[in-house]
Amino acid sequence: MGEISESADISGLAGLDRLVHEPARLSVMALLYVVESADFTFLMNQTGLTWGNLSTHLSKLEGAGYIRVEKSFKGRRPNTTLRLSNEGREAFRTYAVKMRQIFKDIPSDR
Amino acid sequence: MATQLNLKEIERKAFRSTYQDGLWDLYLGVIVMLMAIYIHRPADGYSPMNLILLLLSFVVAFSLFWAGKKFITLPRMGQVRFGAMRKQKKTTLAIILGLVIAVQIGIVGLTALGRAIPTLSAWVSDLFNTQNLELLAVAALGSLFVGPSMILVAHFTDFPRGYYIAILMSLAVFMMIYLNQPVYAILIGALIALPGIVLFVRFLRKYPLPPPTVTHG
Repeated sequence: MGEISESADISGLAGLDRLVHEPARLSVMALLYVVESADFTFLMNQTGLTWGNLSTHLSKLEGAGYIRVEKSFKGRRPNTTLRLSNEGREAFRTYAVKMRQIFKDIPSDR
Repeated sequence: MATQLNLKEIERKAFRSTYQDGLWDLYLGVIVMLMAIYIHRPADGYSPMNLILLLLSFVVAFSLFWAGKKFITLPRMGQVRFGAMRKQKKTTLAIILGLVIAVQIGIVGLTALGRAIPTLSAWVSDLFNTQNLELLAVAALGSLFVGPSMILVAHFTDFPRGYYIAILMSLAVFMMIYLNQPVYAILIGALIALPGIVLFVRFLRKYPLPPPTVTHG
């Protein structure tokens, strides 16, 4: 009987950051990872999320310290600028490394 | 995950989305039309008013473009600041365009100097022995400056429609100088602006203005 390789250990999946793993939050974090900052409207248009949905996900990310939120006014309109914090950037990178590791040896077809 | 998470593509898509309002196409189309009107050589020669009106109309066109971005595009699309790579590209473009302008100034200066030196002037006159050939050379040189410069702008600003605009601008400059008929360049300017109008209307429909009372996050 051959030995089971270390890469076959799927316990690493349990160690994934669930806050980043959720698709809507992942898309928000991916976008904020590649830009310096973006406002709420831009994020909403790019991710295709509704106002309420995005607002909820942003609150979760802000609560975890992954994003920094700056509120201001542009004329009479309220404006919310968002950027990834250092912790958020690190969490996103760690998540990407783990996911790459998990899917490293995946065959192209069964 | 069903789809591949390509960060470069995400950034590019976000960056290119800033062009979907069509304002750049409109602005560049209008610039070509203005140039066609004011650079056209009247039979009695240029007057300083040509240059003054051209500069004034450029200022008005840019102000309208800026106001469109600030008051129409940004409230609908939202605002974004891109990373260091985009800033670096912008700087590289500025340096290259600076060099192109320096070369242009150099050529104009050398031409003026050549005209002042009788032997050189005679040699140039022999080379382009007809007025028509000289005009052809100037038109070709002008379009060779405008076309590649706009291609560089399109490349460094990741603006795919810029390549189409570059070809049309190049053609407009050539016709403007060689035929001295503003109508061709005005038509080419309209060809540049037309996709801009379509995109602008589509943009207004796709991105309605969010209600002013909404607070985010």
